[in-house]
Amino acid sequence: MEGTSGSLNPTTDTSGIMPEFDPKTMRSSKPGLKRLFITTSVLFSFLLGVPFLWKSVEIYRSPLPFHDIDSLSDQIESTPLRFPCNFHAVFVGFRSTDADNLRSQIQDGINQLTHLSPQCGSCSFSLSVTIQNPAEQCSETLGHNPSSCSYRCGMIKSNDFGVGLDDTVDESLNDVFSGCSANSRKMYSVVVVNKENANGEDEVKAVVGKRRHAWIVGSGLEERNDDMVSRVSEIFVKMFMNGGRDEDSIHGEFMPVGSDGRIVLSFSLLNSNPRDWVYDWDFQRIDDALLAPVTKALAPIANISVESQVLYHTPKSSFSSWDEQLQSYIFRTSDLPFFVNSNEWHLDTSAGASGRSKILQFVVYIPSGSECPLLLQLPNGEISKTNGFISPMWGGVIVWNPGNCDKDSESPIRNTISPQDIEQIVEIFLGQFRQLFGFKSEAIYTSVLGTYKILPSERGFTEWELDVLSRKHTCFNLHSCSTTLSSLSKLVRSLPRMIIKDEIGEQVKYSLKAAKLAQSNASLGGYSSSASSSREARSLAENAFFHPSIMSVSYFSYEHCFAVYSPFFLPVVAHVVLAALREWKRYRQEKAKYLTWLTRKKTA
Amino acid sequence: MLADDMACNARNEYPAQVFNNENHKLNLYGDNVEVDYRGYEVTVENFLRVLTGRHENAVPRSKRLLSDEGSHILLYMTGHGGDEFLKFQDAEELQSHDLADAVKQMKEKRRFKELMIMVDTCQAATLFNQLQSPGVLAIGSSLKGENSYSHHLDSDIGVSVVDRFTYYTLAFFERLNIYDNASLNSLFRSYDPKLLMSTAYYRTDLYQPHLVEVPVTNFFGSVMETIHTNSAYKAFSSKTSNSKINSEMPLNQLSEDDELQKANIPNDELKTEKQKCPYTQMRVDLQEKLEKLENVDTVVNLSIAVMFIVVMVSSSLL
Repeated sequence: MEGTSGSLNPTTDTSGIMPEFDPKTMRSSKPGLKRLFITTSVLFSFLLGVPFLWKSVEIYRSPLPFHDIDSLSDQIESTPLRFPCNFHAVFVGFRSTDADNLRSQIQDGINQLTHLSPQCGSCSFSLSVTIQNPAEQCSETLGHNPSSCSYRCGMIKSNDFGVGLDDTVDESLNDVFSGCSANSRKMYSVVVVNKENANGEDEVKAVVGKRRHAWIVGSGLEERNDDMVSRVSEIFVKMFMNGGRDEDSIHGEFMPVGSDGRIVLSFSLLNSNPRDWVYDWDFQRIDDALLAPVTKALAPIANISVESQVLYHTPKSSFSSWDEQLQSYIFRTSDLPFFVNSNEWHLDTSAGASGRSKILQFVVYIPSGSECPLLLQLPNGEISKTNGFISPMWGGVIVWNPGNCDKDSESPIRNTISPQDIEQIVEIFLGQFRQLFGFKSEAIYTSVLGTYKILPSERGFTEWELDVLSRKHTCFNLHSCSTTLSSLSKLVRSLPRMIIKDEIGEQVKYSLKAAKLAQSNASLGGYSSSASSSREARSLAENAFFHPSIMSVSYFSYEHCFAVYSPFFLPVVAHVVLAALREWKRYRQEKAKYLTWLTRKKTA
Repeated sequence: MLADDMACNARNEYPAQVFNNENHKLNLYGDNVEVDYRGYEVTVENFLRVLTGRHENAVPRSKRLLSDEGSHILLYMTGHGGDEFLKFQDAEELQSHDLADAVKQMKEKRRFKELMIMVDTCQAATLFNQLQSPGVLAIGSSLKGENSYSHHLDSDIGVSVVDRFTYYTLAFFERLNIYDNASLNSLFRSYDPKLLMSTAYYRTDLYQPHLVEVPVTNFFGSVMETIHTNSAYKAFSSKTSNSKINSEMPLNQLSEDDELQKANIPNDELKTEKQKCPYTQMRVDLQEKLEKLENVDTVVNLSIAVMFIVVMVSSSLL
């Protein structure tokens, strides 16, 4: 470069020897990469760290089978679960031989009674009819699968009926039909016996037994064919399909099984004023002799355990009034809602029941001397035969008056309730227990066509009632399981940053497996096995849904995660990126300058 | 749930006592009051756990809401609050969307049939803005932008003892007796905005039954639905034999026990196989023999005496 004079007039003086050098647009040396390298390496190391940061804020979510859950719930919604039942009607002492006609008549009768849409847990039945004429020859309907269960002609004799106790008739019929209980398909039978006109009575007696058969005995039944057909269809539908209740389904208020499949029966003997008298009971013997058959019978439906306590100083909170005519203290049905005194009656003190079992309280209340005898008056003025009432899903109360209401002026004697009284109390308790499950407490069913006597079983429920319970509970459990699982999947999907533990995934998997098993057992006709697997499915689904870690309060959204980390990284990252960009721009500029210098040099 | 910040306050002259009135007649911590969550256990998380039912397995039944699909629940909340929140323990807040979410989950799991929410805070009506589940009835002591005020000051203790909304609610119930069939409508109509100094607002769009037909005992008073038991189930009376408790076990029970015993036999066979080892066999035999002996003590005494003699003899021989 020439001296400063050159810079004054650069263009005119320096042409020819050296190309013009404009520091703004040219540079003579190649631009170095060091600055760019430093800034981009810092940026690059930040970028390298991003996957590690992502991994560290990742949360563990066990994969749930959403697709399976959705398909299970669709399946249960669309096709109501139906169980296969076999119905068999035997007509003894009838002269006609047209079994198929009778069969179609009975089928029409049944269809009329079940004309509503098929409810979940109802029967898809197959009907067969056998007619045995007085000469003990039989005609049967065609199409009935000949299995070991088919009725051998002549086994039922019309002389068996009408004499002796109904229990013995029941046992003898059981011998006839017992080959069927071994099969998985349950066979329900109705025997209609037309006796010869023995004593001229016109009365028709209908009895439903303790197993799976019923019988109607009368004379002159062949003439009243339509009547018989309707009574037979009524037994099939109202008794064997619906359990002696009028509605087809049991409401949720009468399914007192806890969500872990357990029920705890808590018996309390309440001495309302121990200064008057103190009563005790031998509960161990009650449990062994009277309650054990009941708990065993209900084993497929719920795992039942029993506990008891005796309490003292437990007054009731409602009032009673003295009635001169009845010579006793009266309380009314309007007092019943206030009877249980939750302040003073410390009933729910079970240590054995876990959080999700259902506890049913059965209270035997012994009134104090100032209210003895205490009787319940119904709205129609009658006195209650049982002195007891239930509250659905809570339990039942029985008021038991000591036989002798005279108070002893000395210190109270400790009495034990006598075994006869205990039996009466347990009978009332069984009636209440049946009510809590949606059945009637009395053993009789009345309809427009007549009354049916139902033989009571010492297990609290007859076998056909247990079948109805198994079917309805299977249905309810499966429905509950599918709604729980779909609520769970909706909840999990709505909180994308909630941790799902492995335990929850396992429980959902096993619950789906148990539900499928229950459905397949139901279609094969295994009532108790489907009831127990559906109970397991429901309990696993509830365990998964109520897992304590699923609390939305503890987990935050993506925006929150961003808001937590951005003050740390965003300012620095912004600076680094800007610096890298600036260096890159500068490098390009310098490179362009260098290239113009080179081209100038070349052209010059 | 009671935070007990006043009852257990160091500056409270009447420790562990809370009165509803300045005349100190009624101690609200009476004999039969059951408080399940108190003090530091009163948190938003525990509250939502109680509502939704998501407890740890070890939580006892008394700390759970054991409701089912036929239950009527009364939820009463009071304290400091504001626009869409309620303050817990001066440290946390319960947001209206958390409450609405918990109620929605409760309804999905059928944990209630009817739910009544009463809120007594400032701007209380905003707390149930986001509710959408059916079967919920909600009443708040004030609208958005209004404050709720306390009723009177207890100069002895130095703080106000009861809020206006709560005071007038209690006054309504004090006027009723057990057989009055007062309806919820009469309860809600009894709130006078002039006396409350705020507007008690209630929302019934999610609640189907008409308020005139709903008795207050639906939610207040712990009243149960009852059904009379018509008859006993005569399972035992039909038998003419003796009372079942005193009789022998019936035959079918015995046969079932036989079946159980048959199932146990394979286990017994396993056990006998294990005992074929000679040493254990010897010990078992010895044990059986010892058990058969009538008087083990005399044998032991005799053997000790024999040992003593042997020792004496052998030591004297040496």
